[in-house]
Amino acid sequence: MIPVENFLILAAVLFAIGVLGVVLRRNALIVLMSIELMLNAANLTLLAYGRARHDATFQALAFLVVAVAAAEAAVGLAIVVGIFRNRHSTNLDELTLMKH
Amino acid sequence: MSFDLAELTLSLPLLVVAVGGVLVLLLEAFSGRTASRAWLAVLTLAILGLATALEIPAWEAAATPRAIYGGMIAVDRFSIFLSVTIFVGAGLSTLLAGGFLREHRFEFGEFYALILLGTAGMMILVQANDLVTIFLGIEIMSLAVYVLTGSWRRSAKSSEAAMKYFLVGSFASAILLYGIALVYGTSGTTNLLEIGKSAVVTTDPVFLIGTFLILGGLAFKVAAVPFHMWAPDAYEGAPTPVTAFMAAAVKAAGFGVLVRILVTAFGRPSLTFGAGGWASIAAALAILTMTLGNVAALRQDNIKRMLAYSSVAHAGYLLVGIVAMGRVGDEARGPILYYLLAYSLTTVGSFGVIAWFGSHGDERQHIDDWAGLGARHPAAALAMTVLLLSLGGIPLTAGFFGKLYLFKVALMKPGLVPLVIIAVANSLISIFYYLRVVTAMYFREVGRATSPLRSRGVTAALILATVGTLALGLLPGWAIDLATQATILTK
Repeated sequence: MIPVENFLILAAVLFAIGVLGVVLRRNALIVLMSIELMLNAANLTLLAYGRARHDATFQALAFLVVAVAAAEAAVGLAIVVGIFRNRHSTNLDELTLMKH
Repeated sequence: MSFDLAELTLSLPLLVVAVGGVLVLLLEAFSGRTASRAWLAVLTLAILGLATALEIPAWEAAATPRAIYGGMIAVDRFSIFLSVTIFVGAGLSTLLAGGFLREHRFEFGEFYALILLGTAGMMILVQANDLVTIFLGIEIMSLAVYVLTGSWRRSAKSSEAAMKYFLVGSFASAILLYGIALVYGTSGTTNLLEIGKSAVVTTDPVFLIGTFLILGGLAFKVAAVPFHMWAPDAYEGAPTPVTAFMAAAVKAAGFGVLVRILVTAFGRPSLTFGAGGWASIAAALAILTMTLGNVAALRQDNIKRMLAYSSVAHAGYLLVGIVAMGRVGDEARGPILYYLLAYSLTTVGSFGVIAWFGSHGDERQHIDDWAGLGARHPAAALAMTVLLLSLGGIPLTAGFFGKLYLFKVALMKPGLVPLVIIAVANSLISIFYYLRVVTAMYFREVGRATSPLRSRGVTAALILATVGTLALGLLPGWAIDLATQATILTK
């Protein structure tokens, strides 16, 4: 059996990759995907702890997160489509209408 | 887990707002494409009014705080006081939205549904007694507000603001969620009260990391420096009634949940005090937030952006209250609640004047556009003056007593004197840029001609906000009494 720590470390690495993606990448869609990666890292953490503690409540919370993430992705993609219609670009560095 | 009718009655206001939101959404779907949406605004106000009325019996019932729905939701006066503050923000924003949406030609009924659903999320948030409820409340609130921010689809600024707000907001939510997963995993419970009592060693690094991630995620939501960079752009680009809603209601909900989680889950001395305790970190953030917000506001020529930075600065003053809560004790919660009420009323009013001033898709936010307003529209200029003086904390206004009570409670701990001095110095700096608008309105030559929007709703909102600000400033006693009664949390 794989020890629980391995899952936790994998989740932490995934979370770090997600954070780096948000900070370093300039394309709105890639940033959105990085945020999804962070959410999934949190889910993996929940499931790993659930297995360690033999507690199914952790899995219930993970399902809830999946539902919320779907709602968030729907709103996020709608916003990306909206901005693409206005600008024909999804590059975040070009969003400078309000820089003073 | 038990589920009985009595618990359902205790959450009646929340049910009214949530079901009302869905109802407005359905009515919009079944009304004609070209029909006016003014009646949906009226319905929204009626729903918010009903929810406010239902909070009155709830206030009595909450005299003894308790937790319902298996401990997920707290029933106490603290959450009722904040819910009503949120209703004030939502109601005034709805009044502003009617005229604003019609004038700028993007009137649609979902707007009001989203205001109600966002309000429901905030109510869940201020009542949340469990990490899961906090996450759900934050998401329900934020998703509604992201869409509202981007709702002016023809405006490039609005969609840009929505994009930035969404990306930063969901980044913060993901950080918060990872923090929740770590705290839940190490302590074995998501209930705030049980986390506070759990036997988990608070030196467990994973638990501490989780704590900081949760608090960091919440700091994003209240726009505390260094997590504030989204706020100026989101506030400036959003349709002005939405900005008012964000500045008032989202901030009140954010501080509500922050107060509760710090007291119940992370209230033990080892987490509160010491160099790494949240009281010290909040003090550092308070100084940074006040100073950066005010210094940045000084440089703005766009009034809406200036008020956006000013709202960052106000988050800093509120953080002084949070520090006082850690160092002095529970009595600091009354001033925080009063400050949130006073600030919500004032900030909705000041953004309301900005919403009133633009017309035909032109928002007139540059300070030069405001020159000579006092001569042409004396009533509006007077309202703006009162509201700005209140934001600056000048006596006889709500903002003055807000700051007075907040700083007075902080002074009960001698160690906090330097923090309060910095806060007072910041209030003085802020008066400069508020007065800059006032001088432009009264002492400068008339700029280009203006035709502010005509709407009974907007006029009513401005009168209510201004009179409310003066009423809280002249007779603060009753609100202070209510806020003091509302300091007890479910424990």
